[in-house]
Amino acid sequence: MLMLMVDRGEDPRRILAMGGGGFTMAQRSPALDRLVLTLTGKELPRICFLPTASGDPREQTTRFFERFAAWPCEPTILSLFHLARDRIDPREHLLAQDAIYVGGGSMRNMLAVWREHRVDEAMRAAWERGVVLAGLSAGAMCWFRGGITESGGAPAPVDGLGLLAGSLSVHMDGEPERLPVFRAAVASGRLEPGYAADDGAGLLFAGTRLEACVASVPSARVVRVTPGGPEGTTLEEMPMSVMGDPAPGPTLHEESRGVSELRALRAGRHRWD
Amino acid sequence: MEWGNPLLDDYVLSLARVRRPKVCFLPTASGDADHYVVRFYRAFAAPRCAPSHISLFRRETGVGDLRAHLLAQDIIYVGGGSLVSLMGTWRAHGLDEALFAAWRRGVILCGGSAGSLCWFSHSVSSFHEGPPRRLEGLGFLPHSNAVHYNDEPGRRTAFLEAVGAGLPSGYGVGDGAALHFVDTDLVEVVSSRPGARARYVTPDGQGGAVEEELSVRYLGEPVPALVVGEAALAA
Repeated sequence: MLMLMVDRGEDPRRILAMGGGGFTMAQRSPALDRLVLTLTGKELPRICFLPTASGDPREQTTRFFERFAAWPCEPTILSLFHLARDRIDPREHLLAQDAIYVGGGSMRNMLAVWREHRVDEAMRAAWERGVVLAGLSAGAMCWFRGGITESGGAPAPVDGLGLLAGSLSVHMDGEPERLPVFRAAVASGRLEPGYAADDGAGLLFAGTRLEACVASVPSARVVRVTPGGPEGTTLEEMPMSVMGDPAPGPTLHEESRGVSELRALRAGRHRWD
Repeated sequence: MEWGNPLLDDYVLSLARVRRPKVCFLPTASGDADHYVVRFYRAFAAPRCAPSHISLFRRETGVGDLRAHLLAQDIIYVGGGSLVSLMGTWRAHGLDEALFAAWRRGVILCGGSAGSLCWFSHSVSSFHEGPPRRLEGLGFLPHSNAVHYNDEPGRRTAFLEAVGAGLPSGYGVGDGAALHFVDTDLVEVVSSRPGARARYVTPDGQGGAVEEELSVRYLGEPVPALVVGEAALAA
């Protein structure tokens, strides 16, 4: 059972880290994407997508607008490869958002490019101000102290921004070659104990505390990985809350029970079993 | 890789002095944009060369050992885009060091726009938010560089101001013009377009900068002396 007492007034920081899924992976269920908006608590949230980890491909931009334009929000893109064209100041733009959604790809490249543009500093500032930070794959692992990336070809440990203690490994179901490398890194101490997440599974943090593990498909799992045991690490399945698909309608009143629950939890009105 | 104009591409290939030079394209500054990679394979088609590319955003496929691949090339061609993002990504994969080793070994390094700026110690780029700003490149060439010099508003003014304010002396290069360095010395300026220009910019000692028009050899003309005269007249 998860105790969900979330009061944004005391600690406004929110991170939703997804193991995969969402619009960039062409997943049909939009529940995790919709949850990003819901977590802002705003009627018309400003949401900015960063496709840095994939080199800002046009296709992801198209998919982002395709999905989010159907909902009440103000979607924008921050492309660090096209700043001259777009004339956007990254820090100013990021701090003006209600939610920031980070795409997957090469985590090593993403963090290197972010550092050059000082987006790493801007992300921390945005988080501390209560801008919801969300993302999948590289865009999920980056918030932790470390993760498992394929930025160099083969899966290997990589350091993240470290807003959250611990580590995260993604695509547990879709890219099974990651988990053994993750377990070995946790066993050796190269990475801190942490979580592995399937595509379609998300970890919701209030402040630095894990509040809930959510799933956009019933099969999606999150596993806690700690050192110890005969295999070097122990795996423990986390209780999941499966979200229904949000209604396609344009208003927030038509959302699904799952999203309603999360809105309630954000407002601190709900205990969620 | 100018549209419909192979003159600079042909020139680079001719420098390799081998029958079928190995050419590797680095589209990093564009975020490894697919359309740019396709354009490279069209411009540098087999069989006149052996083309390849490295995508640092998709290391799970393609070239495995980046350094060994780069050192085995005759020519490395760097595409345009964001210099800031390019430098960060290269450092993250050790390409700065690998490219230096390739250069010392005699691999021909070339590129346009950000793919030109990257070889110099300093540059003035507008490929970011706000006004043009000073950036540092790999520094193989101990000069400064500005591109699209006569072609985009603000580039020339920003470069002159920067050199006047202490940026190392360097080269303002217009679209279609290319600087050819041997070691760190400029040996020739060539161009794919008649009238393309390049200037050497030095501080005037009083907070400003002076420009010296450089002779440019148009690669499409059989009598280069005519073009040199034209460029000089244009100054």
